[in-house]
Amino acid sequence: MATVVRRAGEYPEPVVTWWPGRRLRFVVVLVLLGAFYSASWHLAKVDPGRLLTGLPKMAGWAAKAWPPATDELPVLLLRTAETIAMAAIGTTAAALLALPLCVVAARNVTPSLALYYPARGFLNALRGVDSFVFALLFVAAVGLGPFAGVLGIALHTWGSTAKLWAEAIENIPPGPLEAAAATGASRVKVIAFALLPDVAPSMVSVGLFWWEFNVRASTVLGVVGAGGIGQELKNSMDLLLFPRLLTIILLILVTVTVIDHTSEWLRRKLE
Amino acid sequence: MAATEARVAPGPTGNGLVARAEGLTKRYPPAVTALAEVSFEVRPGEFVAVLGPSGAGKTTLFRCLTGLTRPDRGTVSVNGRDIWQNPRELRLARREMALIFQQFNLIRRLSALENVLVGRLAHVPAWRVISRSFTRADRQLALGCLDTVGLLDRAGTRADELSGGQQQRVAIARALAQHAKLILADEPVASLDPESSATVLESLRSAVSTGVAVVASLHQVHLARAYADRIVALRDGRIVEDAPADRLDARSIELIYERNAERDEA
Repeated sequence: MATVVRRAGEYPEPVVTWWPGRRLRFVVVLVLLGAFYSASWHLAKVDPGRLLTGLPKMAGWAAKAWPPATDELPVLLLRTAETIAMAAIGTTAAALLALPLCVVAARNVTPSLALYYPARGFLNALRGVDSFVFALLFVAAVGLGPFAGVLGIALHTWGSTAKLWAEAIENIPPGPLEAAAATGASRVKVIAFALLPDVAPSMVSVGLFWWEFNVRASTVLGVVGAGGIGQELKNSMDLLLFPRLLTIILLILVTVTVIDHTSEWLRRKLE
Repeated sequence: MAATEARVAPGPTGNGLVARAEGLTKRYPPAVTALAEVSFEVRPGEFVAVLGPSGAGKTTLFRCLTGLTRPDRGTVSVNGRDIWQNPRELRLARREMALIFQQFNLIRRLSALENVLVGRLAHVPAWRVISRSFTRADRQLALGCLDTVGLLDRAGTRADELSGGQQQRVAIARALAQHAKLILADEPVASLDPESSATVLESLRSAVSTGVAVVASLHQVHLARAYADRIVALRDGRIVEDAPADRLDARSIELIYERNAERDEA
């Protein structure tokens, strides 16, 4: 083994790879970022002055909202239950639909690349349209009420869940799958026996995340007429019934907190 | 113990060969010749060690034998099936050969027993695989294989809680459960400490004693001499030695690992 001795100052220094380097490029990036944010500021019509004048109005509402109204509590609780039910049915339907599609959309286990690309495109399209927008369309198609919300949630969550599941499948180490396939077992058997146990925990975790997310999302779906507590929220706001509005907001907060903690607890239990 | 056992010549073999490679040639353009006209045969109940410096073509040879890499020229037959004839032959041949990997490749969340049952997948109807209900006969067979490699007491342990040596022995049990006639092991002990290496190679020896043929690439000459019946040495993609393990002397070992000054510089 040859040892080369050089004096300090003669060693070639390696190029730092994580930083693009070059002062000029840094300045250009800075200018571009500045332009982007100033354009965004104008497009978003940010006006702190209007916020300042609007705040007392909100403070007035808040003062009028106390104490929260309790006379309609049974109805509001029913609406809350409706919201949770919408999220549960929508998420579960999405999960069942995502199950076959995530296999097709995972590069390492897809039956054929000719199916992989269309599957990916389809999922991206579903994911790109928010459940809010889908719900708007379904309200027009199937009428007002929670069913439109369920359909909206199901379609958007189908795309999102299948995509995340496919990514979980793509991230598992290839060795054990290769080993199982090398015994001469068919693809279905390899997926069922070798792949599933490896990805099941992260799949359940993703499913729980979307259920939790959809509970939050479905609290506002009512605003477009798709049922649940959101519908009551909008009514109260329109009629300026502030105590009722406060009750609804508190109900949403409690529900979301409970669901978040339950889902987090379940996910922690999985690992 | 294993060392003396290893020197015993392979028993009567009949005339069937387990595997035969003929004229295997594989080039990686522009300049690398990974394999050049490699031919050899493997008989039942024989432990063949493949030796050779890094880059000698050992891994390419294993990939060609298992059907993972298609050679430019040459044929591989396993139990009389030409694996490159068509995909069906390859799949059928794969049932009869089992692979052992350097990184074990167990399914980490499954128990040792379930990992051994992976060896039964090709023989079990799909509904049993999906519902995870193997027959008692299969489960008993798998437990027997774990017993052979000395891990019966770890049957219920999750694979990722086993030591490296134990995981590799589970992989050998998986190969046994497959009822493979041939076990191909590419660097089975390269990531193990000496003690685990010994137990793993002893497990491969006990597989051989049940009539299975083993082809294993090894890095250490002393392990090859202690556990193998025959040593095949590769250098620059060619077989430079093919002899019974006890006839390999210091001179020929030197020949296998003779320093190639130019390549060491590169």
